[in-house]
Parts: sequence; structure tokens; C-alpha cells
Amino acid sequence: MPDATKTTVRLTIDGTPISVPKGTLVIEAARRIGVMIPHFCYHPKLKPDANCRMCLVEIEKMPKLQTACSTLADEGMSVRTATTVVNDAHKSVLEFILANHPLDCPVCDQGGRCDLQDFSHQYTPTTSRFVETKRIFQKDYFSPLIETQMNRCVQCLRCVRYCDEVMDVKALAPAGRGTMTEIKHFGPHPLNCEFCGGCVQICPVGAITSRLSMYEYRPWMLKRADTICGYCGDGCQMTVQTKGQELIEVNSAHGAGRNNGDLCARGFFGFHAAKHPERLTHPLIRRNGILVQTTWEEALEFVADQARKIHAAHGGQSFGGLISGRCTNEELYLFQKFMRVVIGTNDIDSSARYGHLNGIQAMRRIQGTHRWTVSFEDITSADVLLLVGTNITECNPITGLKVKEAVKKRGATLVTIEALEPSIEPISNIANLSLHHFCAPTPRMGNAVLGLLKALVEQNLAHPDVAQQHPAYVRAVTEMLGQISWQDMQAATGRDAAAFADAAKVLAAGRRVIVLAGQGLLRSAGGHHGSLNLLDLLLLIGKLDQPGCGFAPLSEENNDQGAVEMGAAPEFLPGPFDVTDRESCNRVTALWKTALPPHSGASLVEILHRAETGATKAMFIVGENPVGSLPTQMRAEESLRKLDLLICQELFLTETAALAHVVLPAASSMEKSGTFTNTEGHVQTVRPAIEPVGESRPDWEVFVALSFLMGTPLEYAESRDILKEIRSLIPGYGSLGPAPLPTKVDHTVINRYLTDGYQHDLAARYKLSIAAAQPDGIVQLELVQSLFHSGKLSTRSRGLMEVEGGGALRISPQDAARFALKDGDRVRLSNIQGEMTTTITIRERVPRGSAWFPDHFSQTSAHLFGCVLDPVTRTPSIRTTSVSMMKVA
Amino acid sequence: MPKHELILLKNMSQPGYSGSLADYEATGGYQALRATLGKTAPADVTTAVRKSGLRGRGGAGFPTGVKWGFLPKDYQGPRYLCCNADESEPGTFKDRQLMERDPHQMLEGIVLACYAIGAESAYIYIRGEMVLGSKILERAIGEARAAGYIGNNILGTGTHVDVWVHRGAGAYICGEETALLESLEGKRGLPRIKPPFPATHGLYNKPTVVNNVETLANLPHILTRGAEWFAAIGSPPKSTGTRVFCVSGHVKRPGNYEVPMGVTFRELVYEHAGGMRSNKPIKAFIPGGASAPFLTPDHLDVKMDFESVAAAGSMLGSGGVTVMEEGTSMVWAALRLMEFFYHESCGKCSPCREGSSWLVQTMRRIMAKRGRMEDLETLLDLCKNIAGRTVCAFGDAEVAPIQSTLKYWRDEYVSLIREAEAADLIMPEAAGVRH
Amino acid sequence: MLKEKYQKEIDEIISRYPVKRSALIPLLYLAQQEHGYVTEAAMKEIAQLLRLTPPQVYETVTFYTVLNLKPVGKFHMQVCKSLMCALAGSDTLLGWIKTKLGIAPGESTPDGLFTLSTVECLASCGTAPMMQINDDYYEQLTEAKVDKILGDLKTSGTSDLKSGPYMWPLPVNAVRREG
Ligand SMILES: Cc1cc2nc3c(=O)[nH]c(=O)nc-3n(C[C@H](O)[C@H](O)[C@H](O)COP(=O)(O)O)c2cc1C
Ligand code: SF4
Ligand code: FES
Repeated sequence: MPDATKTTVRLTIDGTPISVPKGTLVIEAARRIGVMIPHFCYHPKLKPDANCRMCLVEIEKMPKLQTACSTLADEGMSVRTATTVVNDAHKSVLEFILANHPLDCPVCDQGGRCDLQDFSHQYTPTTSRFVETKRIFQKDYFSPLIETQMNRCVQCLRCVRYCDEVMDVKALAPAGRGTMTEIKHFGPHPLNCEFCGGCVQICPVGAITSRLSMYEYRPWMLKRADTICGYCGDGCQMTVQTKGQELIEVNSAHGAGRNNGDLCARGFFGFHAAKHPERLTHPLIRRNGILVQTTWEEALEFVADQARKIHAAHGGQSFGGLISGRCTNEELYLFQKFMRVVIGTNDIDSSARYGHLNGIQAMRRIQGTHRWTVSFEDITSADVLLLVGTNITECNPITGLKVKEAVKKRGATLVTIEALEPSIEPISNIANLSLHHFCAPTPRMGNAVLGLLKALVEQNLAHPDVAQQHPAYVRAVTEMLGQISWQDMQAATGRDAAAFADAAKVLAAGRRVIVLAGQGLLRSAGGHHGSLNLLDLLLLIGKLDQPGCGFAPLSEENNDQGAVEMGAAPEFLPGPFDVTDRESCNRVTALWKTALPPHSGASLVEILHRAETGATKAMFIVGENPVGSLPTQMRAEESLRKLDLLICQELFLTETAALAHVVLPAASSMEKSGTFTNTEGHVQTVRPAIEPVGESRPDWEVFVALSFLMGTPLEYAESRDILKEIRSLIPGYGSLGPAPLPTKVDHTVINRYLTDGYQHDLAARYKLSIAAAQPDGIVQLELVQSLFHSGKLSTRSRGLMEVEGGGALRISPQDAARFALKDGDRVRLSNIQGEMTTTITIRERVPRGSAWFPDHFSQTSAHLFGCVLDPVTRTPSIRTTSVSMMKVA
Repeated sequence: MPKHELILLKNMSQPGYSGSLADYEATGGYQALRATLGKTAPADVTTAVRKSGLRGRGGAGFPTGVKWGFLPKDYQGPRYLCCNADESEPGTFKDRQLMERDPHQMLEGIVLACYAIGAESAYIYIRGEMVLGSKILERAIGEARAAGYIGNNILGTGTHVDVWVHRGAGAYICGEETALLESLEGKRGLPRIKPPFPATHGLYNKPTVVNNVETLANLPHILTRGAEWFAAIGSPPKSTGTRVFCVSGHVKRPGNYEVPMGVTFRELVYEHAGGMRSNKPIKAFIPGGASAPFLTPDHLDVKMDFESVAAAGSMLGSGGVTVMEEGTSMVWAALRLMEFFYHESCGKCSPCREGSSWLVQTMRRIMAKRGRMEDLETLLDLCKNIAGRTVCAFGDAEVAPIQSTLKYWRDEYVSLIREAEAADLIMPEAAGVRH
Repeated sequence: MLKEKYQKEIDEIISRYPVKRSALIPLLYLAQQEHGYVTEAAMKEIAQLLRLTPPQVYETVTFYTVLNLKPVGKFHMQVCKSLMCALAGSDTLLGWIKTKLGIAPGESTPDGLFTLSTVECLASCGTAPMMQINDDYYEQLTEAKVDKILGDLKTSGTSDLKSGPYMWPLPVNAVRREG
């Protein structure tokens, strides 16, 4: 009898003994010792389906051949994969699979990397005994991005299973039965889904392919570069395939990167942005009021000249700098060093200011880290997950897959506070998987967090250790929450005490609890407080310092985390360390061999103010577009127009670049080397897939060149030299390779917080945010992230524009009814700041009273929004406003 | 005319028996329920069924009591009983009669089975085409519920059993027990890989028993008259009880005949079914539904029990006995069945999916006198390569007609091919796809 | 919308199962009963009711032969062509029906009254040949019976030749049509 308590089993495969964990499939055990069993339907991400019957093996004591993909390795098992019987079986199955398969390999995009081709090569004679008529499917248009050629389908259903099991989208339908089973969407309708490309990637043959690269190549012509996606903070590894300077396609190998081979639409179909015809290819300089083409020498000399003059007249403090969180760590680092050392100012900021810093500052204050204390692996093995304001499918799709895996495959319990209604739509909705869902409007997400906290303390669910060691903290929290009545809580959240109590119990009972906070919370006015309160929640249930538990704020732009760690912020030196911290300043000064700017720096909004008042005279803006992204009310354009010198390093002539005195063409992340730090703090290598477009150059080269021209040379020959210097300041930075252990909380910081650190703002944080009564005809307009775009960069990608080519206002079915609107109707939105007209689409996921407009097309709506500045983190919250909505003809 | 006592068909063979609750009760119906619920421990019911030797009547012939015993003993949470009323095996029409004519008999069996295995819900999965049967069952369930035989606290014993009729929608494969479960879950009826077996991971992943209508209909009788009584009928020890054989084809009186297992085919055909329609000799017969290999007149004295039929190279299967007279083309007969299997292959497994279309096309070609001698080799090879290599037993079933007709009547294939060669018509047929 | 008309039935059907999706085929029957076939709108509505995506409903519909995705005639004549009925003469019978209606299997009469299909075994092999028309079985068919059935259907929409509960035992002296 096998011992039931043992966690490993021993078996032999073709005579080789091997020991594997219980639960390992025979096909996987074989792979471990280098025995490849042929297969089509098996895929490590999917539940065994054993439909192709290709992986048949002999197992001693079993009368029939068994499928290795569905048989668990068992103690004492003896497996044979290479006997005549097995070989004959493989041949015969292959003969069946090939029977109806067209021999169109010469025109098939899969040719050369096709499992069927490979196995045929291995097993079958070149002639077929099949002389009957081959099955023929009528060719239908399938979708703008994905092509099907169903005659090639081997019906392994990997695409269908992936779409369901991994993505939770369920957009693919195997229609019909028997040989006539055909993968379709819904009847004759073209595919409408997340367009993650997963079906294209997982199809073992050429039945599902990408239309973006159809017929353009043979796989062996392509050059590959493994790099990191430049869109969101998930930091997916992808392989960019090129033919000469042409970007042909992107995919991601199973097992590769933090994404484990999964991608989202942006990663899979968004790669053309780099090759958009409007890319800036030459430096531009303003002559007689207009920007004209110039040479790098002239442009750089002009910039250096002007900068020197302004510096001489007004000092370093008259400069400001903004950099995008899409730049590499090396560039971010060099940018802040350039600004601090060559120019002598701390007035620098990055796009991490828009919200990511809210989460980081909260972690620094309460747990003493600036990073997650958990990894993606911890998410998949968590047993309770709390998601707050993530809209994870659209904002951080791959982190979303980790959450789905935890819930769907491993039975984790999901609690969600999201501005989402559960709904069945072409894209997945995380609220559908949630057992305790609180639908909360974005500006007041924090209320539901307070509800959970209140339920926790009132049911005495605070962990006994915390309660005993820090009674004053628990008492203070309890007292503050006691001042909120359940009646008010219900009025504010729409949910009663019992609903919160149930969710609180789940959180308190969890063993491995992770809280994920997304843009909905982090970019909102209460983003910082909300983050602090979520950390309080983890403290109270005793999970903040436990392995596999923690708080995980999700970053929007691919390198927001790197921007902070590289010190591209007025309050931070690389590390990040506080600029006010003596010791850190000394270390930096010692390395840089120069004094640091004396004044404390201005952040994004403050820099613009300074420009407007004339205090700031010159600005370097790298990859940021304040004129296009900020509400009109913030007067970015007016402010920038007042500058004596505006230098923009950009891919495209954005609204901001159009105002510049000099525009320098920057290389995109497809064209340069460096590193990005993803949302979980993983530093990953970026590699060029193509040469820089036109005369564009990586941003760091520009800083180096300017530093020479300005007389304070920063000497680096390649981006690796910069990384070396970063490592000397931040030990262990960029230990590329297998996942490093996540950072640990700092217990002294936690103790300080629990002792008295919590006190000064508790009252301010533990307060319900009450909505003003919403009169009829008013909706809450919100700028949101769409799955198909990232910032405004993706709007230059023809693939993604096929799926979502413009901004439409998404409203709930209830509001559609309330305003008598149907899909495609036009509405006018107006408030005292102005008005705009747009078309609507009805989306069930939008909560009643909200109207979502994709941030990526926000130019037309910029004048409707205002800005609320967080007093502590100086984060501008610029994405919600009230408008009245009216149908227009 | 029957020399033996009828069990399952007894009530309905009484003149005027309507199948209503009153009629059923008048013949002693629901006495087993009264005698068992709350009086015999569920485990003892299982033991009695095991002792009776009752084996599944759906096709596989698995011992029913043993199957029940596989359910996890200490599992808390719901368990399910599914009554397999999908009856789609060509040549089989007994369940239809049992349901339409004496619905309470099987309902009583269902409640008893639920009691034994601890299930509180039973679903009768009836094939979608049998609209009348589903209506009759619905009505009977209504009567039984009103009389307290079904529902909460049955007969005051604290037993709860709900019974629902669930109509399939036209797919032979949904008779396979795991495909049935998938279908009942609202999905495409694709068989699941086993293990895990339904006994542990069945409907909604909960412990589940799937039993055929006839199997369940036997239960009231076993429980009222005792396991020993039942075990003595038929061909003990392995094939006990009677079977309702469905006789079709070239016989005078096709129909359902309930006989103890172990009578010979000859007796069934000539004594019960009235002999051959045109008094021609028998050429071939299928002993257990379309999935069972054909047998020849040489096998007419084989005893109709599980073991004897298996020893003769076929199987008792679902009890569908189809008889063909001299003059019937065996290639044609095999093709007809192959057309059926091609139409019904669910498409999950490559050998079955692709093999069925390959086989049917080759058979059509041979039948159309466009065959070639090497086709016979290919046919046999394909059959060999399908059988035993698929998820469910459909793969084994679909090759039975071709394999067995090629075994006994190869000359018929050969002469069709000879005609083809003579006509020099060796073109592959541009046969279309399915219907 | 089915919901407006059949709210009670729908609720009752869904209540039979611990998992909603199980109600899919029963609801599809409701839809088919309403329109004669499963319309796209019905698939969408049912998807909504059961919290499935429309492709999930679609894949299920296409697996089952009783569910029609296209309109069929008022009377859907489905003649069994499996071996057992064929042994009892179903091929000749089908030929007869084809001539009477002037259509081949898969076609409908121009007046939209009849659609002819061939189907596989419907569990009436003992009373072959047979056909199903809409919900009803017609067994032990002869050409004369077919003529009467067609006539009955045209005039009254139903025929008393349809089967009741499966007839057994056959009267010993029952006369069978000689093949
Ligand atoms: C392809 C296939 C079709 C089947 N069809 C039926 C059927 O229509 N009715 C039935 O009772 N069993 C059918 N079975 C057998 C069932 O899988 C299962 O063995 C049976 O329902 C168990 O019940 P029993 O033990 O009472 O016989 C079929 C099996 C296969 C492989
Ligand atoms: S079905 Fe198949 S691959 Fe597919 S893998 Fe298995 S058996 Fe194996
Ligand atoms: S073969 Fe026609 S009903 Fe059975």
C-alpha cells in the first residue's frame, strides 16, 4: 500500500527511477528526466482533458495504454514511453489527426514551429492512407486581430480551455460536434473578447493566428529579443520578433517572466506603437515661433547654451524636470542625477506622483518598506485576497490572472471593494469571482474599507497579539470607528453591518491574506488614507508581518516603481531615501562627489505653479505630457508657455512637446537596453528589438551629452554602467534572474507606528466621506483605464485601435434607462467648467450613477475636471468630477 | 405465453393497467418503500442489492450494490442519484416502455436507491425526444409527491428525496454516464476522463450514482421479495434476475420480452418473438444493441447472460437484440450502424472523431462499389487503432459492427470490391460531410 | 423576451438545480417552444439569466440535435433511418414521404408547413418504421398511415395515429405489415 502521508512518489520511466511530488502527472514526471511524450491537448496551465490521445504510454499492470497527460504518477509505477506498442499508438493517433488536416504548411504562419509538423516529421511516413474527402469548414471572418483557419484545427480545445480556465472570459465556443466541431465565438458574430492573444499562443497548430502579422514571414526568418512590455506595471516578459527593422509579432514563452507566458491585448497586439509613422525622427528647434528640423549637435548646443545662461542668471532652482515612469531605471536615475548634480535642483517628479506614491508612502510609514512584501507567487497561493479599487482586468491584467488562478484553481476566497458591478461581458470581471463584493464609487472607496475595519474590531477579530501588545492602538482605532454608526455606514456604502461582518470574518480567518490596491483607490483623493487604513487592517488581523501576507499597491505605468526607487521625486534620493535623511545624503554625496541641492524640492503640481509664477524658468520634460494629461484648470499650458526654455524628449509631438523650444526624439523601449522594475519590485532586463527609429536616441544618452556640454560630465558608455552605479547605491538592485525574496517589513517601524505613530491623523483617516446628494441628471464622470490601452502611447498602436479606436462614455444600463439612452447615442456632459459631447456605450459593470471615460482619449474632456491635492503625498487627484448628462440629437 | 414469471413487465401486462399511482398501489406498489425507509439501515439496503447480484442494465453490467459501495462513507454534503433514461442505443427500447407504462415502479426504485446512498436529489435524465415519457414521469412524480412518497419527510421517516425530470436534447453520447453528468450540468455532453469516477466526483463534483431505468426498476422487487429470491433467477451467480430484451429486425413479433437471463437466443427469437418474419433463416443478429459485435446463427444457442455472450465474442450490452434474415447485406448493415456512430461521435477524442469519419467514408465507398482491396486492411487497422484508445467506451462500440461483419462476412466486402474493380471505378468518392 | 412571459416557469426551472447552468437545456426548450427554434436573442437572454456568456450557450445548443438554430416548418417530420428501422423498411417509407411532400431531407415545403429530416434511432425499433413529428412519435408506419397523418396534420394540426405510451404486449394476433 502506498503511504498516504508521503508527499513524494517514486516511479520508473523507461527504466529510469525518479521521485516526484504527489500529484505530478506522468507527462510532467517524464519531462523532468528529459523524456518528451508527444502531446497536443496537454498544457501545464490547463486541467487535463486527454482528448487528443497522443500521449499514450504503457503502464505496468494496466491493461490498456494510458494517457500520460491525465494519469498521476503513483508509487511503484513503471511507465514505458518507447516500446513498439507505444510507438505504434503514437503513429496511429497522428494518422487520425492528420487525416483531415490540410497540407497547407507552405502558407501557414505556424509552419516551422508547429507541433503537428514536428510530430509528423518524427513519426509518420510521407504518404497517407487517407484517400477520403477532407472535412472543409467554410471560412468566416473571425475578428480584426485574430484569424482562424479551422480546417487546420486538431480540436485539442486548448484555446477554449485557456479562455475559460485561465482568462475567465469564455469567449470561445466549440460549436457542433464530432469532426465538424469548429471553434467559434457566438454564432456568426466576430470575436469580441479581451484579445489577450492567449488562443493564438496556445494553439499547437496554425488554426488560430494573429492577423497583424499574417503571411508576412516564416518563423525562421525572424530575429527575437526577449524584453519587458512597456505598458503596465505588471512587467510581462515578451519576445519581440522582427524582420530587419520591422516589428512582426510579439509572444511570450510558457514559463517565461513574471507573466509565465501570459500576455494581455496591450502586450500581444500593441507593439506597433513604436513604429507609428508619426514617430519623431529628428531633433526639432523653434525658429521664428515654429519647430523645424535640426541636427543633434545644434539642438544640444542650443539647449546647453540656454541652460547655462538661465543657470547663471537665476540658479539651479529656476529649473524643473518631469520624467515618465515609462523610462528605464537607468534613465530615471541619470535624469535625477543630472537635475541634482549638473543643474542643482530637487524640483523633479515623475508619473509615479499620480498615485503610486500614495501606496508607497503608506508602506514606508507603517511597515518601513517601499515595496511589496509579497510576490506574484504569494498571490497565487494566498487563501484570502482583498482587492480594493483595482479593476484588475483592465488595469493590471496579468496580476489579475494571478488572482484568478488563486480563486479558480486553488480555491482562495476573494473579497472585493471595487467600483464595479458583477457582470457577464466580453471581458472578464473580477467581481464575478468575489464572494464578498462591495460595489463602491471610486471617490469613496475608503468607506467600505472603514466598514471592514469597523466590523473587525466590533467582532473582536483583532489578533490577540496586537490586542495585548498595543491595546492603546486597538482602543484608539475601535473608538474612532465607534463614532461611525452602522446607519451612517449603510447610508455611505449601501451595505449593512452583516455584510461587512461576513467579509471581516473571512479576512480574520485567512492564513495567507494579501490586500491589492489599484488605481481606483491610489489615484483617488482618499488614496493615501485608504492605503494607510488597509495597512491598519492587516496589522489588526496580525498579518502585516506574516510570510505570504501583505499590502500590494499596483502600479499603472510600467516603471512607476522604478521611478520612485531611482529617486525621480523631490522627496527621494535613489534608494529611495528621504532627501532629509543625513546619512543617505552623505552616502550619495560621497559617491557623486558633489553637494546636493540645498532646498527641498517641488512636486509636479508645485513645479507647474512655479512656472506660472515665473519662479521656474526652464524645464526638462522627458516622456511626460502635462498639457495633454492634466485638467485644463491646472493651467499646464499657460504655465509652460511662460518658460524661457522648455526641452522635451519624446516619441511623438505631443501637446506638451508642441510648446517646446527644443524637441529631442527619444528611442522607445523597443529600441534600447536597460531595466524596468515591475509592480512587485522585480528588476527586469529590457533589450532592444530594433535599432532606434530615425535619429532617435535613448534618453540617458541625451543626459550624458548635455552634461558634457554643460561642463559637469556624467560619464557612462552604456546603460550597464549606470546600472552598476545604481547597484553601488542600492545594494542588490537588479539581481536579475530568479525571483529574489520579497522585502521584509521593518519591525521597528511597525512598532513605532503602533506605539504612537498612528495618532496624529487617525481622526482624519477614520471618517466617512459623504457624497453630496446627486441631483437628477447628474453623474459622476471618471477617467478610467481601459484594457486595450495604456496611457496615450497605445493609441498609436494600430492593433489596439482596431479594438478600441476612440473614447466612448461607458454608462450603466440603469442610467441608460434613466436617461432614455441606447448604445451609440450621443450625450452632452457639462459642469461649471465646461462641456463635451460624446457617444455612449452601455456596460453592465459600470455602477449606477457613474460614467466612465477612457483616460487614453481624455483630451476632449480635460476641461471638465479639477484637481485635489493630497496634503501629505502631494498627489493630484484629477480623475473624477460631477457632470450633468443630457441626450443630444 | 411466458413460461416464467414476469417481474418488471408484470403490472403493465395486466389488462387495464394504466400506470397511475392508484393502479400501482393496488398491485402492491410502494410497499418496498414502506418496508424499507426508516426500518432497514441504508447500508443494509446496499448489502441486499449486492447480495441479489443485480448488475447494471444500461450496458456495462456493473454490479449495482458494488457501485453504491464506492461512495465515500464519511462525506458530508450533497450526493446525487441520476437515473439514466437516455436510451439511445439503436435496437434498445425497453426503458421507454418501463417509463411510459409503469412510471411508479422506477420512481419507487429511485427513492430506494436515494435512501441507500444518502442522496436527497435525483435527476431522471431522459432523452430529449421522449416528450411523452417525460410528461408521464412528471405526472407520476406529482402523484407520488402528493402521496408523500417523494419530497420532504417521506412517510414520516425523515427521509428527503426530490426527483426531477431532466430532458436531454438529442445526443447518444449523453447515455455515457459522465457525458450525462456534463449534459445535466448544462454543458456539451463530452465524457469526462476517469478517474475520478462519479462515485466520488460526479454531478457538480459531488458523489453520484448513475443507474439505468431498468436497474432501478428492479429494486422494489428485490427489497420486497429478498435478495435470495432475486439471486436465484436467471444464471446465478453472475447473471441474476430477468432482462427485458428488445427484439427488433426481421422477426414476426418485435417487442420487449422479459425473460430470465440465461435463456438462449433461439428461444427468444423463435418462441417469444414469433420466429422470422418471412420464415427465412437467420443470417445474423446483434445481441446487445448497436455497440455489440454481430453474431451468426452458430451462436443461437448461446445463453443470454453476461458471461456466455462475452465468451461468444460479443456482449449483452443494453439488451437490444436485432435479428437479420438471410439476404440482408452485412456491409450495408454495418454501414448503417457506422453512419449512426459517425453522427453521434462527440468529437472529443481524435481516434474516435477522425476515425468515425474515415470509417464511414470508406464504408460508403465500398458500398457504392468504389472500394479497393486494401480498404479492408485499412478498415481493420483503423478499428484496432480506435478501440481502447479513447476516453469512453464509444470508441470500442463504433468499431464492433465493422470488425464483426468483416470477421464473419468478409466475402461480402470482397465481392463488392470485386465489382468495383471490374467496373474500374476506383475513384475516391467525393462524399460530403455529415447531413 | 422570455422573462416577461415565463417568469414563473423560469424561476421554477432554475430552482431545481443547485447550479444555475443546469437549467440551460430546459430554458432552451422553453425558447424553442416559443419561437419554433432557438433565436439569437433567446440565447443572449438565457445567457444573462444563467450568468453565462453567449458563446457558452451557443456551444451547448450546437451540440444537441433537438435544438434548432434555424426555423423549421410547422411540422418537423423526423424519420428514423437507423439500421433497425431500415430492416423494417424505413428507406421505402422515406421515399414515399419525399414524393408526397416533394422535398428531400433537410428541406421544407414552400408553404412552411413541413420540414423533413432523417434522424438516428429514437428507441422504437420494436415498432419500426417510425418517425417523430414535433413532440409525437408515429410508429409501425405504412404508406397508408403516412397519407392519413399528412392529411390529418394539414386539416387539424394533429393526428390520432400518434403513439400513446409504448404498446406492449402486442396483442398476439396483431397483424404486421409484411415487408
Ligand atoms: C456511448 C455510451 C452510451 C451509453 N448509453 C446508455 C444509455 O442510453 N442508457 C443507459 O442506461 N446506459 C448507457 N450507457 C451506460 C452508462 O455509461 C452507464 O454504464 C449506465 O448508465 C450505468 O447504469 P447501470 O449500472 O444501472 O447499467 C452508455 C455507455 C456508453 C459508453
Ligand atoms: S490527450 Fe492527449 S495530449 Fe492530449 S495529451 Fe492527452 S492525451 Fe495527451
Ligand atoms: S432503429 Fe429506428 S427507432 Fe430504433
